Amino acid sequence: MTITHHPSDETLAAFASGTLDAGRAVVVATHVCLCPRCRHAMQALEHIGGALLEAAAPTAMSPGALDRAVAQVAGVTPSEDLAPRVATPAASASTEEPSDELPSPLRHYALGRWRRVGGGLLTRPVDVPHDGDVRVFLLKGGPGTRLLQHRHSGTEWTCVIHGAYRDERRRYGPGDFDEVDESIEHYQVVEDGGPCVAVVAMQGDIKLQGFIGRLLRPFIRI
Amino acid sequence: MQDDGDAIAARKPAFDPVQLIGAIAERRDRSAFAALFGFYAPRIKTMLMRAGESAEAAEDIAQETLLTIWRKAVQYDPARASASAWVYAIARNLRVDRLRRNQRAQALALYEAVELDATDGPDGPLDAAEIERHVQAALQQLPEEQAAVVRLSFFDGRAHGDIAESLQLPLGTVKSRIRLAMGRLRSLLGDAL
Repeated sequence: MTITHHPSDETLAAFASGTLDAGRAVVVATHVCLCPRCRHAMQALEHIGGALLEAAAPTAMSPGALDRAVAQVAGVTPSEDLAPRVATPAASASTEEPSDELPSPLRHYALGRWRRVGGGLLTRPVDVPHDGDVRVFLLKGGPGTRLLQHRHSGTEWTCVIHGAYRDERRRYGPGDFDEVDESIEHYQVVEDGGPCVAVVAMQGDIKLQGFIGRLLRPFIRI
Repeated sequence: MQDDGDAIAARKPAFDPVQLIGAIAERRDRSAFAALFGFYAPRIKTMLMRAGESAEAAEDIAQETLLTIWRKAVQYDPARASASAWVYAIARNLRVDRLRRNQRAQALALYEAVELDATDGPDGPLDAAEIERHVQAALQQLPEEQAAVVRLSFFDGRAHGDIAESLQLPLGTVKSRIRLAMGRLRSLLGDAL
């Protein structure tokens, strides 16, 4: 997998510092999971947190805090098998296809049904608890599917999972991350060869542009 | 003066968190746990109070972080992360989870999912000790306005939008300061960032 488009530095920093909203964090996590370069960046960024923590002034813990902690660990054996909570997904709520083929950050969430939204596109909600007005969904389009020229009322972050699409300037293949804000008007076309599946965190709504777009607006509901 | 300082340093047993985490993993060493607790718990408490948690909540998360260190000691890989970076990541995950505690999905699981896949990938070009050294150097070289934004984000756990609001700066300025700080780090770390 050759990934050419990465999250911006400030986006990676927000993710590493744990200050990104839940919806967008899922899309960034999906990318980071697929991208060794960004995993290395995360590793370095966590050292910023580590250095700041180490240099911090201590605040006294309450009396007996250490004793309580020691008493608590006394009965616990440090173990290897803690991490794979990944296999106990909320996704059991999913009624349709298994989510095994999705990158692991997406396997934590219940997925809704695939739903046609018009124009050859399907969406499937990813049930990420929102803090804010960000919605997360999978978007699927067959080869040649074109999402008309549109603009957003907020930001739209996308990470491609399978297949590829293009916009005016670039090609986005598996693992590529696309950060679009309200100042950008764009269209997207799915490349020939196979369907494209991407995970999207969208803030606000999309606004289709142009005459055809205005005609289609009542039919396309994303 | 120099000699006195060195003599004191030599008498005082050095705090070596990597070795202490190893002692927990190998032999459930409670005195190692107590030493780690003594250093990290009060600092995590400071960090979480800066992030707006009450003293009680901050202390709870500090406790929980230390318990997680005990449970996960076996998984700690000193080549991937300095002890402090590892502890930071655990505390961050617990803090984010607490923010979203009424919600089903957990950040802990989200960051762990990334980590889990990461173990399959190639190692980074630098080991943790080098990264730590460069990060320390970069933090010291940053102009105060960039360092302040980095601290607010990584230590105080404030979103970029909040930082912009409280410093009365445009969001773009906050982001560009983060970007500049990362540029400084990147120039030291080379391919590792």
